Amino acid sequence: MSLFAFFGTLEIGFIYGLVAIGVYLTFRVLDFPDLTVDGSFTLGAAVTATLIVLGYNAYLATLLGTLAAGAAGLVTAWLNLRFNILHLLASILTMTALYTINLRVMGKPNVALIMEPTVLMPFESLPLENMYLKVVFVAVCAIVVGLAVAWFLNTQYGLAMRAVGANTRMAQANGIVVKEKVYVGLALSNGLVGLAGALFAQTNGFADSTMGIGTIVVGLAAVIIGQSLFASRSMVVIVLSCIVGSLLYRIAVSAALNADFLGFTASDLNLITAVLVGLALVFPQLRREWKAKRAREGKQ
Amino acid sequence: MIRCENLHVTFNRGLPTEKLALRGVDLSIDKSQFVTVIGSNGAGKSTLLNAIAGDVSSTQGKIFFDEREVTRLPATARTKDIARVFQDPLAGTCGNLTVEENMALAYGRGSRGKLKPALNGKLRELFKEQLARLNLGLEDRLDAEMGLLSGGQRQSVSLLMSALQPSTILLLDEHTAALDPKTAALIMDISSQIIAEKQLTVMMVTHSMRQALDYGNRTIMLHEGKVVFDLSGDERANCQVKDLLDLFAKAKGDGDELDDDKLLLGA
Repeated sequence: MSLFAFFGTLEIGFIYGLVAIGVYLTFRVLDFPDLTVDGSFTLGAAVTATLIVLGYNAYLATLLGTLAAGAAGLVTAWLNLRFNILHLLASILTMTALYTINLRVMGKPNVALIMEPTVLMPFESLPLENMYLKVVFVAVCAIVVGLAVAWFLNTQYGLAMRAVGANTRMAQANGIVVKEKVYVGLALSNGLVGLAGALFAQTNGFADSTMGIGTIVVGLAAVIIGQSLFASRSMVVIVLSCIVGSLLYRIAVSAALNADFLGFTASDLNLITAVLVGLALVFPQLRREWKAKRAREGKQ
Repeated sequence: MIRCENLHVTFNRGLPTEKLALRGVDLSIDKSQFVTVIGSNGAGKSTLLNAIAGDVSSTQGKIFFDEREVTRLPATARTKDIARVFQDPLAGTCGNLTVEENMALAYGRGSRGKLKPALNGKLRELFKEQLARLNLGLEDRLDAEMGLLSGGQRQSVSLLMSALQPSTILLLDEHTAALDPKTAALIMDISSQIIAEKQLTVMMVTHSMRQALDYGNRTIMLHEGKVVFDLSGDERANCQVKDLLDLFAKAKGDGDELDDDKLLLGA
Protein backbone atom coordinates (compact mmCIF):
# COMPACT_ATOMS: atom_id res chain seq x y z
CA MET A 1 0.00 0.00 0.00
CA SER A 2 1.40 3.39 -0.96
CA LEU A 3 1.73 6.13 1.61
CA PHE A 4 -0.87 8.11 -0.27
CA ALA A 5 -3.32 5.24 -0.15
CA PHE A 6 -2.60 4.72 3.55
CA PHE A 7 -3.38 8.32 4.43
CA GLY A 8 -6.49 8.12 2.29
CA THR A 9 -7.51 5.09 4.36
CA LEU A 10 -6.95 6.95 7.63
CA GLU A 11 -8.95 9.92 6.37
CA ILE A 12 -11.95 7.77 5.49
CA GLY A 13 -11.48 5.87 8.74
CA PHE A 14 -11.77 9.01 10.87
CA ILE A 15 -14.76 10.28 8.88
CA TYR A 16 -16.59 6.99 9.36
CA GLY A 17 -15.55 7.13 13.00
CA LEU A 18 -18.24 9.82 13.31
CA VAL A 19 -20.70 7.46 11.64
CA ALA A 20 -19.70 4.76 14.13
CA ILE A 21 -20.37 7.07 17.08
CA GLY A 22 -23.79 7.84 15.61
CA VAL A 23 -24.54 4.16 15.14
CA TYR A 24 -23.33 3.46 18.69
CA LEU A 25 -25.88 5.98 20.00
CA THR A 26 -28.81 4.26 18.30
CA PHE A 27 -27.88 0.59 18.30
CA ARG A 28 -26.16 0.40 21.67
CA VAL A 29 -27.32 3.33 23.79
CA LEU A 30 -30.98 3.53 22.73
CA ASP A 31 -31.36 -0.06 21.50
CA PHE A 32 -33.04 1.43 18.42
CA PRO A 33 -31.64 -0.16 15.23
CA ASP A 34 -31.70 2.78 12.86
CA LEU A 35 -31.04 2.40 9.13
CA THR A 36 -31.83 6.07 8.40
CA VAL A 37 -28.08 6.68 8.33
CA ASP A 38 -27.77 5.36 4.76
CA GLY A 39 -29.90 8.33 3.73
CA SER A 40 -28.75 10.90 6.27
CA PHE A 41 -25.07 10.44 5.37
CA THR A 42 -25.93 11.43 1.80
CA LEU A 43 -28.30 14.17 2.97
CA GLY A 44 -25.52 15.80 5.01
CA ALA A 45 -23.23 15.63 1.99
CA ALA A 46 -25.89 16.79 -0.50
CA VAL A 47 -27.05 19.80 1.53
CA THR A 48 -23.50 20.88 2.31
CA ALA A 49 -22.18 20.45 -1.25
CA THR A 50 -25.17 22.21 -2.80
CA LEU A 51 -24.87 25.17 -0.43
CA ILE A 52 -21.12 25.47 -1.03
CA VAL A 53 -21.64 25.50 -4.78
CA LEU A 54 -24.28 28.20 -4.28
CA GLY A 55 -21.62 30.28 -2.58
CA TYR A 56 -22.44 29.78 1.10
CA ASN A 57 -19.68 29.67 3.70
CA ALA A 58 -18.41 26.09 4.02
CA TYR A 59 -18.79 26.02 7.82
CA LEU A 60 -22.34 27.30 7.66
CA ALA A 61 -23.07 24.76 4.90
CA THR A 62 -21.63 21.95 7.03
CA LEU A 63 -23.72 23.04 10.01
CA LEU A 64 -26.89 23.10 7.90
CA GLY A 65 -26.06 19.70 6.37
CA THR A 66 -25.66 18.30 9.89
CA LEU A 67 -28.96 19.80 11.04
CA ALA A 68 -30.79 18.47 7.97
CA ALA A 69 -29.52 14.96 8.70
CA GLY A 70 -30.55 15.37 12.36
CA ALA A 71 -34.05 16.29 11.19
CA ALA A 72 -34.15 13.05 9.16
CA GLY A 73 -33.50 11.21 12.43
CA LEU A 74 -36.45 13.04 13.99
CA VAL A 75 -38.71 11.80 11.18
CA THR A 76 -37.74 8.19 11.90
CA ALA A 77 -38.28 8.70 15.63
CA TRP A 78 -41.67 10.30 14.95
CA LEU A 79 -42.82 7.42 12.72
CA ASN A 80 -41.84 4.96 15.42
CA LEU A 81 -43.08 6.82 18.50
CA ARG A 82 -46.21 8.46 17.13
CA PHE A 83 -47.50 5.66 14.91
CA ASN A 84 -45.85 2.61 16.48
CA ILE A 85 -44.15 1.62 13.24
CA LEU A 86 -41.42 -0.90 14.01
CA HIS A 87 -38.12 0.98 14.42
CA LEU A 88 -36.34 -0.89 11.62
CA LEU A 89 -39.22 -0.32 9.24
CA ALA A 90 -39.61 3.34 10.20
CA SER A 91 -35.94 3.92 9.46
CA ILE A 92 -36.15 2.08 6.13
CA LEU A 93 -39.09 4.31 5.15
CA THR A 94 -37.15 7.46 5.97
CA MET A 95 -34.07 6.13 4.20
CA THR A 96 -36.09 5.36 1.06
CA ALA A 97 -37.71 8.80 1.08
CA LEU A 98 -34.31 10.42 1.57
CA TYR A 99 -33.00 8.92 -1.67
CA THR A 100 -35.45 11.07 -3.61
CA ILE A 101 -34.97 14.06 -1.35
CA ASN A 102 -31.21 13.90 -1.86
CA LEU A 103 -31.66 13.91 -5.63
CA ARG A 104 -34.00 16.88 -5.28
CA VAL A 105 -31.58 18.76 -3.03
CA MET A 106 -28.75 18.36 -5.50
CA GLY A 107 -30.94 18.62 -8.59
CA LYS A 108 -28.77 15.97 -10.23
CA PRO A 109 -27.14 12.66 -9.23
CA ASN A 110 -23.91 14.30 -8.08
CA VAL A 111 -22.33 17.62 -7.25
CA ALA A 112 -18.62 18.25 -7.75
CA LEU A 113 -16.72 20.35 -5.23
CA ILE A 114 -13.42 20.63 -7.09
CA MET A 115 -11.87 24.05 -6.52
CA GLU A 116 -14.73 25.13 -4.25
CA PRO A 117 -13.89 26.69 -0.87
CA THR A 118 -14.38 23.87 1.69
CA VAL A 119 -13.91 23.74 5.47
CA LEU A 120 -10.24 23.01 4.77
CA MET A 121 -9.68 26.40 3.10
CA PRO A 122 -8.57 28.38 6.16
CA PHE A 123 -5.83 25.82 6.77
CA GLU A 124 -4.52 25.52 3.24
CA SER A 125 -1.90 28.21 3.84
CA LEU A 126 -0.30 26.03 6.53
CA PRO A 127 2.99 24.41 5.52
CA LEU A 128 1.35 21.01 5.42
CA GLU A 129 0.74 18.87 2.39
CA ASN A 130 -2.92 18.54 1.46
CA MET A 131 -2.81 14.77 2.04
CA TYR A 132 -1.69 15.23 5.66
CA LEU A 133 -3.86 18.27 6.25
CA LYS A 134 -7.02 16.34 5.44
CA VAL A 135 -6.12 13.51 7.81
CA VAL A 136 -5.24 15.88 10.65
CA PHE A 137 -8.44 17.87 10.10
CA VAL A 138 -10.81 14.91 10.11
CA ALA A 139 -8.92 13.28 13.01
CA VAL A 140 -9.35 16.42 15.12
CA CYS A 141 -13.03 16.62 14.15
CA ALA A 142 -13.68 12.97 15.01
CA ILE A 143 -11.82 13.07 18.33
CA VAL A 144 -13.29 16.40 19.48
CA VAL A 145 -16.82 15.26 18.58
CA GLY A 146 -16.14 11.87 20.21
CA LEU A 147 -15.03 13.45 23.47
CA ALA A 148 -18.06 15.74 23.43
CA VAL A 149 -20.39 12.75 22.97
CA ALA A 150 -18.62 10.88 25.80
CA TRP A 151 -19.03 13.92 28.04
CA PHE A 152 -22.70 14.13 27.08
CA LEU A 153 -23.33 10.46 27.89
CA ASN A 154 -21.91 11.06 31.36
CA THR A 155 -24.24 13.96 32.12
CA GLN A 156 -27.57 13.53 33.87
CA TYR A 157 -29.28 13.84 30.51
CA GLY A 158 -26.98 11.36 28.81
CA LEU A 159 -27.29 8.88 31.67
CA ALA A 160 -31.07 9.11 31.38
CA MET A 161 -30.76 8.35 27.67
CA ARG A 162 -28.67 5.27 28.43
CA ALA A 163 -31.28 4.13 30.94
CA VAL A 164 -34.03 4.45 28.32
CA GLY A 165 -32.22 1.99 26.08
CA ALA A 166 -31.27 -0.35 28.90
CA ASN A 167 -34.51 -0.54 30.89
CA THR A 168 -37.42 1.55 29.70
CA ARG A 169 -39.70 0.69 32.62
CA MET A 170 -37.09 1.62 35.19
CA ALA A 171 -36.35 4.83 33.30
CA GLN A 172 -40.03 5.75 33.41
CA ALA A 173 -40.34 4.92 37.08
CA ASN A 174 -37.50 7.37 37.68
CA GLY A 175 -39.32 10.16 35.89
CA ILE A 176 -37.44 9.99 32.60
CA VAL A 177 -39.51 11.06 29.59
CA VAL A 178 -38.67 8.17 27.27
CA LYS A 179 -39.95 9.62 24.00
CA GLU A 180 -38.01 12.83 24.35
CA LYS A 181 -34.78 10.87 24.85
CA VAL A 182 -35.44 8.81 21.71
CA TYR A 183 -36.08 11.95 19.64
CA VAL A 184 -32.95 13.64 20.91
CA GLY A 185 -30.87 10.48 20.51
CA LEU A 186 -31.95 9.88 16.91
CA ALA A 187 -31.44 13.53 15.96
CA LEU A 188 -27.99 13.49 17.52
CA SER A 189 -27.04 10.19 15.89
CA ASN A 190 -28.17 11.19 12.41
CA GLY A 191 -26.67 14.63 12.86
CA LEU A 192 -23.26 13.03 13.48
CA VAL A 193 -23.71 10.83 10.42
CA GLY A 194 -24.71 13.88 8.36
CA LEU A 195 -21.59 15.69 9.59
CA ALA A 196 -19.55 12.72 8.42
CA GLY A 197 -21.25 12.95 5.02
CA ALA A 198 -20.53 16.68 4.83
CA LEU A 199 -16.85 16.14 5.65
CA PHE A 200 -16.63 13.24 3.20
CA ALA A 201 -18.02 15.40 0.38
CA GLN A 202 -15.55 18.18 1.12
CA THR A 203 -12.43 16.06 1.48
CA ASN A 204 -13.27 13.89 -1.54
CA GLY A 205 -14.57 16.69 -3.73
CA PHE A 206 -18.07 15.45 -4.48
CA ALA A 207 -21.49 14.47 -3.19
CA ASP A 208 -23.26 11.61 -4.91
CA SER A 209 -26.77 10.21 -4.52
CA THR A 210 -25.42 6.69 -3.98
CA MET A 211 -22.61 7.53 -1.55
CA GLY A 212 -24.64 6.51 1.50
CA ILE A 213 -25.31 2.92 0.50
CA GLY A 214 -23.91 0.58 3.12
CA THR A 215 -23.20 3.32 5.67
CA ILE A 216 -25.03 1.40 8.36
CA VAL A 217 -22.99 -1.77 7.81
CA VAL A 218 -19.71 0.11 7.95
CA GLY A 219 -20.77 1.98 11.07
CA LEU A 220 -21.92 -1.19 12.76
CA ALA A 221 -18.70 -2.96 11.79
CA ALA A 222 -16.67 -0.19 13.40
CA VAL A 223 -18.74 -0.29 16.60
CA ILE A 224 -18.43 -4.06 16.89
CA ILE A 225 -14.71 -4.19 16.09
CA GLY A 226 -14.03 -1.38 18.56
CA GLN A 227 -16.05 -2.94 21.35
CA SER A 228 -14.65 -6.41 20.89
CA LEU A 229 -11.14 -5.00 21.27
CA PHE A 230 -11.69 -2.63 24.17
CA ALA A 231 -13.95 -3.93 26.89
CA SER A 232 -14.49 -0.94 29.13
CA ARG A 233 -17.18 0.83 31.10
CA SER A 234 -15.67 4.25 30.50
CA MET A 235 -17.69 6.32 28.05
CA VAL A 236 -14.53 7.98 26.74
CA VAL A 237 -12.95 4.61 25.95
CA ILE A 238 -16.16 3.27 24.40
CA VAL A 239 -16.71 6.28 22.14
CA LEU A 240 -13.07 6.48 21.09
CA SER A 241 -13.07 2.74 20.42
CA CYS A 242 -15.76 3.42 17.78
CA ILE A 243 -13.22 5.62 15.98
CA VAL A 244 -10.43 3.06 16.39
CA GLY A 245 -12.81 0.34 15.14
CA SER A 246 -13.56 2.42 12.07
CA LEU A 247 -9.83 2.93 11.36
CA LEU A 248 -9.08 -0.77 11.78
CA TYR A 249 -11.98 -1.69 9.54
CA ARG A 250 -10.73 0.63 6.79
CA ILE A 251 -7.18 -0.68 7.11
CA ALA A 252 -8.40 -4.27 6.92
CA VAL A 253 -10.50 -3.51 3.84
CA SER A 254 -7.70 -1.74 2.01
CA ALA A 255 -5.21 -4.44 3.01
CA ALA A 256 -7.54 -7.06 1.51
CA LEU A 257 -8.04 -5.03 -1.65
CA ASN A 258 -4.31 -4.35 -1.98
CA ALA A 259 -3.11 -7.89 -1.35
CA ASP A 260 -2.35 -8.96 -4.93
CA PHE A 261 -2.28 -12.67 -4.11
CA LEU A 262 -5.95 -12.51 -3.06
CA GLY A 263 -6.90 -11.11 -6.45
CA PHE A 264 -9.67 -8.82 -5.15
CA THR A 265 -10.82 -5.84 -7.17
CA ALA A 266 -12.65 -2.75 -5.97
CA SER A 267 -15.96 -4.31 -6.95
CA ASP A 268 -15.42 -7.04 -4.34
CA LEU A 269 -15.70 -4.47 -1.55
CA ASN A 270 -19.15 -5.52 -0.35
CA LEU A 271 -18.19 -9.17 0.00
CA ILE A 272 -15.08 -8.20 1.97
CA THR A 273 -17.20 -5.92 4.16
CA ALA A 274 -19.71 -8.68 4.87
CA VAL A 275 -16.93 -11.16 5.74
CA LEU A 276 -15.18 -8.66 8.02
CA VAL A 277 -18.40 -7.73 9.84
CA GLY A 278 -19.25 -11.41 10.13
CA LEU A 279 -15.86 -12.13 11.65
CA ALA A 280 -16.17 -9.25 14.08
CA LEU A 281 -19.58 -10.54 15.17
CA VAL A 282 -18.42 -14.13 15.51
CA PHE A 283 -15.12 -13.39 17.23
CA PRO A 284 -16.40 -12.50 20.74
CA GLN A 285 -18.59 -15.62 20.75
CA LEU A 286 -15.71 -17.86 19.64
CA ARG A 287 -13.43 -16.31 22.23
CA ARG A 288 -15.93 -17.16 24.97
CA GLU A 289 -16.19 -20.73 23.71
CA TRP A 290 -12.40 -21.14 23.61
CA LYS A 291 -12.08 -19.75 27.11
CA ALA A 292 -14.79 -22.05 28.43
CA LYS A 293 -13.14 -25.02 26.73
CA ARG A 294 -9.73 -24.17 28.14
CA ALA A 295 -11.22 -23.76 31.61
CA ARG A 296 -12.82 -27.22 31.38
CA GLU A 297 -9.64 -28.83 30.16
CA GLY A 298 -7.65 -27.08 32.88
CA LYS A 299 -9.85 -28.61 35.57
CA GLN A 300 -9.59 -32.17 34.36
CA MET B 1 -52.79 11.61 50.76
CA ILE B 2 -54.00 9.22 48.04
CA ARG B 3 -57.65 9.17 47.06
CA CYS B 4 -59.25 7.00 44.42
CA GLU B 5 -62.86 7.72 43.45
CA ASN B 6 -64.85 5.08 41.62
CA LEU B 7 -61.75 3.94 39.78
CA HIS B 8 -62.33 1.66 36.79
CA VAL B 9 -59.67 0.11 34.58
CA THR B 10 -60.58 -2.01 31.58
CA PHE B 11 -58.04 -3.78 29.41
CA ASN B 12 -58.69 -4.59 25.74
CA ARG B 13 -61.97 -2.72 25.77
CA GLY B 14 -64.35 -3.93 23.10
CA LEU B 15 -62.32 -7.01 22.29
CA PRO B 16 -63.20 -10.63 23.12
CA THR B 17 -60.31 -10.56 25.60
CA GLU B 18 -61.82 -7.57 27.45
CA LYS B 19 -60.88 -7.60 31.11
CA LEU B 20 -62.41 -5.46 33.82
CA ALA B 21 -59.37 -5.17 36.06
CA LEU B 22 -60.75 -2.54 38.41
CA ARG B 23 -64.49 -2.06 38.85
CA GLY B 24 -65.02 0.97 40.98
CA VAL B 25 -62.37 1.25 43.67
CA ASP B 26 -63.05 3.89 46.33
CA LEU B 27 -60.10 4.29 48.58
CA SER B 28 -58.72 7.04 50.74
CA ILE B 29 -55.29 6.69 52.30
CA ASP B 30 -54.04 9.16 54.90
CA LYS B 31 -50.57 10.57 55.08
CA SER B 32 -48.00 8.15 56.58
CA GLN B 33 -50.43 5.30 56.44
CA PHE B 34 -48.89 1.93 55.52
CA VAL B 35 -51.47 -0.11 53.64
CA THR B 36 -50.92 -3.76 52.77
CA VAL B 37 -52.91 -4.97 49.77
CA ILE B 38 -53.93 -8.61 49.40
CA GLY B 39 -56.10 -10.59 47.02
CA SER B 40 -55.88 -13.61 44.76
CA ASN B 41 -54.30 -13.61 41.32
CA GLY B 42 -56.10 -11.30 38.92
CA ALA B 43 -57.88 -9.42 41.72
CA GLY B 44 -56.48 -6.11 40.48
CA LYS B 45 -53.78 -5.45 43.07
CA SER B 46 -51.01 -4.64 40.62
CA THR B 47 -53.45 -2.78 38.37
CA LEU B 48 -54.43 -0.57 41.29
CA LEU B 49 -50.77 0.25 41.97
CA ASN B 50 -50.10 0.81 38.29
CA ALA B 51 -53.13 3.10 38.02
CA ILE B 52 -51.91 5.15 40.97
CA ALA B 53 -48.41 5.30 39.49
CA GLY B 54 -49.83 6.27 36.11
CA ASP B 55 -48.57 3.27 34.13
CA VAL B 56 -52.16 2.27 33.42
CA SER B 57 -54.73 4.88 32.54
CA SER B 58 -58.14 4.60 34.14
CA THR B 59 -61.25 4.25 32.02
CA GLN B 60 -63.41 5.94 34.64
CA GLY B 61 -62.98 7.58 38.01
CA LYS B 62 -60.46 9.95 39.52
CA ILE B 63 -57.18 9.82 41.43
CA PHE B 64 -56.00 12.56 43.79
CA PHE B 65 -52.72 13.12 45.61
CA ASP B 66 -53.66 15.39 48.52
CA GLU B 67 -56.14 17.67 46.79
CA ARG B 68 -54.42 17.62 43.39
CA GLU B 69 -56.13 15.57 40.74
CA VAL B 70 -53.56 13.44 38.90
CA THR B 71 -55.88 11.20 36.87
CA ARG B 72 -54.57 12.49 33.53
CA LEU B 73 -50.99 13.10 34.65
CA PRO B 74 -48.47 10.81 32.88
CA ALA B 75 -46.43 8.36 34.94
CA THR B 76 -43.21 10.33 34.57
CA ALA B 77 -44.81 13.46 36.01
CA ARG B 78 -46.07 11.51 39.04
CA THR B 79 -42.57 10.34 39.93
CA LYS B 80 -42.09 13.59 41.88
CA ASP B 81 -44.46 12.10 44.44
CA ILE B 82 -44.04 8.39 43.89
CA ALA B 83 -41.18 5.97 44.35
CA ARG B 84 -41.63 2.35 43.34
CA VAL B 85 -40.03 -1.02 43.84
CA PHE B 86 -41.07 -3.79 41.48
CA GLN B 87 -41.44 -7.50 42.04
CA ASP B 88 -38.77 -8.38 39.49
CA PRO B 89 -35.35 -7.34 40.82
CA LEU B 90 -34.25 -6.89 37.21
CA ALA B 91 -37.02 -4.37 36.52
CA GLY B 92 -36.03 -1.76 39.08
CA THR B 93 -32.41 -1.37 38.05
CA CYS B 94 -30.42 -1.20 34.82
CA GLY B 95 -28.24 -4.28 34.45
CA ASN B 96 -25.72 -2.71 32.13
CA LEU B 97 -25.19 0.46 34.09
CA THR B 98 -23.00 0.53 37.18
CA VAL B 99 -24.31 0.64 40.75
CA GLU B 100 -23.42 4.32 41.07
CA GLU B 101 -24.98 5.18 37.71
CA ASN B 102 -28.19 3.48 38.74
CA MET B 103 -28.21 5.42 41.99
CA ALA B 104 -27.46 8.66 40.14
CA LEU B 105 -30.52 8.03 37.97
CA ALA B 106 -32.70 7.54 41.00
CA TYR B 107 -31.13 10.60 42.62
CA GLY B 108 -32.36 12.63 39.65
CA ARG B 109 -35.88 11.27 39.87
CA GLY B 110 -38.53 13.89 39.29
CA SER B 111 -36.08 16.51 38.03
CA ARG B 112 -35.29 17.13 34.39
CA GLY B 113 -31.93 15.67 33.40
CA LYS B 114 -29.46 18.51 33.12
CA LEU B 115 -26.34 18.82 31.05
CA LYS B 116 -24.01 18.48 33.97
CA PRO B 117 -22.05 15.42 35.07
CA ALA B 118 -24.37 12.83 36.59
CA LEU B 119 -21.77 11.76 39.15
CA ASN B 120 -19.35 13.59 41.41
CA GLY B 121 -17.37 12.97 44.57
CA LYS B 122 -20.09 14.26 46.86
CA LEU B 123 -22.72 11.98 45.36
CA ARG B 124 -20.41 8.97 45.51
CA GLU B 125 -19.92 9.63 49.23
CA LEU B 126 -23.69 9.78 49.72
CA PHE B 127 -24.20 6.55 47.77
CA LYS B 128 -21.46 4.79 49.72
CA GLU B 129 -23.00 5.88 52.99
CA GLN B 130 -26.42 4.60 51.89
CA LEU B 131 -25.07 1.29 50.57
CA ALA B 132 -23.19 0.70 53.82
CA ARG B 133 -26.59 0.43 55.58
CA LEU B 134 -27.25 -2.79 53.72
CA ASN B 135 -24.21 -4.57 55.17
CA LEU B 136 -23.75 -6.34 51.86
CA GLY B 137 -20.33 -4.87 51.10
CA LEU B 138 -21.77 -3.00 48.13
CA GLU B 139 -20.25 0.29 49.26
CA ASP B 140 -16.96 -0.92 47.77
CA ARG B 141 -18.53 -1.90 44.48
CA LEU B 142 -19.88 1.42 43.26
CA ASP B 143 -18.41 0.93 39.81
CA ALA B 144 -19.52 -2.69 39.42
CA GLU B 145 -22.05 -3.42 36.73
CA MET B 146 -25.51 -3.88 38.24
CA GLY B 147 -25.96 -7.06 36.22
CA LEU B 148 -23.17 -8.73 38.21
CA LEU B 149 -25.13 -8.42 41.47
CA SER B 150 -27.48 -11.10 42.77
CA GLY B 151 -31.25 -10.64 42.70
CA GLY B 152 -31.35 -9.88 46.41
CA GLN B 153 -28.56 -7.35 46.14
CA ARG B 154 -30.25 -5.67 43.21
CA GLN B 155 -33.55 -5.50 45.06
CA SER B 156 -31.78 -3.99 48.08
CA VAL B 157 -30.24 -1.33 45.88
CA SER B 158 -33.64 -0.66 44.24
CA LEU B 159 -35.04 -0.04 47.68
CA LEU B 160 -32.28 2.42 48.58
CA MET B 161 -32.77 4.08 45.22
CA SER B 162 -36.46 4.61 45.92
CA ALA B 163 -35.50 6.62 49.00
CA LEU B 164 -32.76 8.78 47.48
CA GLN B 165 -35.19 11.52 46.52
CA PRO B 166 -37.70 12.85 48.94
CA SER B 167 -41.03 11.43 47.87
CA THR B 168 -44.22 11.02 49.79
CA ILE B 169 -45.61 7.81 48.36
CA LEU B 170 -43.89 4.44 48.12
CA LEU B 171 -45.46 1.67 46.05
CA LEU B 172 -44.14 -1.83 46.71
CA ASP B 173 -45.42 -4.48 44.33
CA GLU B 174 -44.61 -7.87 45.87
CA HIS B 175 -41.07 -6.64 46.16
CA THR B 176 -39.90 -9.63 48.19
CA ALA B 177 -41.75 -12.35 46.26
CA ALA B 178 -38.83 -13.28 44.01
CA LEU B 179 -36.32 -13.57 46.85
CA ASP B 180 -35.25 -16.35 49.20
CA PRO B 181 -36.74 -16.11 52.73
CA LYS B 182 -33.59 -14.73 54.35
CA THR B 183 -33.09 -12.00 51.77
CA ALA B 184 -36.82 -11.26 51.82
CA ALA B 185 -36.63 -10.67 55.58
CA LEU B 186 -33.65 -8.36 55.11
CA ILE B 187 -35.47 -6.39 52.43
CA MET B 188 -38.58 -6.06 54.62
CA ASP B 189 -36.35 -4.83 57.45
CA ILE B 190 -34.79 -2.14 55.33
CA SER B 191 -38.18 -1.21 53.89
CA SER B 192 -39.60 -0.70 57.37
CA GLN B 193 -36.60 1.40 58.38
CA ILE B 194 -36.86 3.66 55.35
CA ILE B 195 -40.62 4.00 55.67
CA ALA B 196 -40.39 4.98 59.33
CA GLU B 197 -37.48 7.33 58.73
CA LYS B 198 -39.10 9.21 55.84
CA GLN B 199 -42.69 9.04 57.12
CA LEU B 200 -43.83 7.64 53.77
CA THR B 201 -47.33 6.80 52.68
CA VAL B 202 -47.05 3.20 51.54
CA MET B 203 -49.03 0.69 49.55
CA MET B 204 -47.53 -2.78 49.61
CA VAL B 205 -48.97 -5.61 47.54
CA THR B 206 -48.19 -9.00 48.98
CA HIS B 207 -49.25 -12.59 48.53
CA SER B 208 -48.32 -13.45 52.07
CA MET B 209 -51.13 -13.05 54.64
CA ARG B 210 -48.49 -13.11 57.34
CA GLN B 211 -46.64 -10.17 55.82
CA ALA B 212 -49.92 -8.35 55.24
CA LEU B 213 -50.71 -8.45 58.96
CA ASP B 214 -47.17 -8.07 60.34
CA TYR B 215 -46.35 -4.89 58.49
CA GLY B 216 -48.17 -1.63 58.14
CA ASN B 217 -51.26 -0.32 59.90
CA ARG B 218 -54.06 -1.08 57.47
CA THR B 219 -54.94 -4.03 55.24
CA ILE B 220 -57.26 -4.04 52.28
CA MET B 221 -58.34 -6.98 50.19
CA LEU B 222 -59.23 -6.73 46.55
CA HIS B 223 -61.45 -9.18 44.76
CA GLU B 224 -62.56 -8.93 41.14
CA GLY B 225 -61.49 -5.34 40.93
CA LYS B 226 -63.19 -4.12 44.10
CA VAL B 227 -62.14 -3.50 47.68
CA VAL B 228 -63.94 -6.27 49.59
CA PHE B 229 -62.70 -5.45 53.05
CA ASP B 230 -60.65 -2.89 54.80
CA LEU B 231 -59.08 -3.54 58.22
CA SER B 232 -57.36 -1.15 60.57
CA GLY B 233 -56.98 -0.34 64.25
CA ASP B 234 -58.00 -2.92 66.86
CA GLU B 235 -59.93 -4.99 64.40
CA ARG B 236 -56.72 -5.52 62.47
CA ALA B 237 -54.56 -5.96 65.57
CA ASN B 238 -56.71 -8.88 66.68
CA CYS B 239 -56.87 -10.44 63.28
CA GLN B 240 -55.10 -13.72 62.59
CA VAL B 241 -54.18 -15.26 59.25
CA LYS B 242 -57.09 -17.65 59.67
CA ASP B 243 -59.53 -14.81 60.25
CA LEU B 244 -58.31 -13.18 57.08
CA LEU B 245 -58.99 -16.33 55.10
CA ASP B 246 -62.49 -16.55 56.57
CA LEU B 247 -63.14 -12.91 55.79
CA PHE B 248 -61.96 -13.55 52.29
CA ALA B 249 -64.27 -16.54 51.79
CA LYS B 250 -67.19 -14.50 53.11
CA ALA B 251 -66.35 -11.58 50.84
CA LYS B 252 -66.33 -13.84 47.86
CA GLY B 253 -69.68 -15.21 48.82
CA ASP B 254 -68.88 -18.88 48.26
CA GLY B 255 -66.86 -21.37 50.19
CA ASP B 256 -66.03 -23.71 47.35
CA GLU B 257 -62.95 -21.96 46.12
CA LEU B 258 -61.50 -21.46 49.54
CA ASP B 259 -59.07 -24.34 49.26
CA ASP B 260 -57.54 -22.98 46.10
CA ASP B 261 -57.11 -19.63 47.66
CA LYS B 262 -55.64 -21.12 50.78
CA LEU B 263 -52.89 -22.40 48.56
CA LEU B 264 -52.40 -19.02 47.02
CA LEU B 265 -52.77 -16.90 50.07
CA GLY B 266 -51.63 -19.09 52.95
CA ALA B 267 -48.82 -17.77 55.10
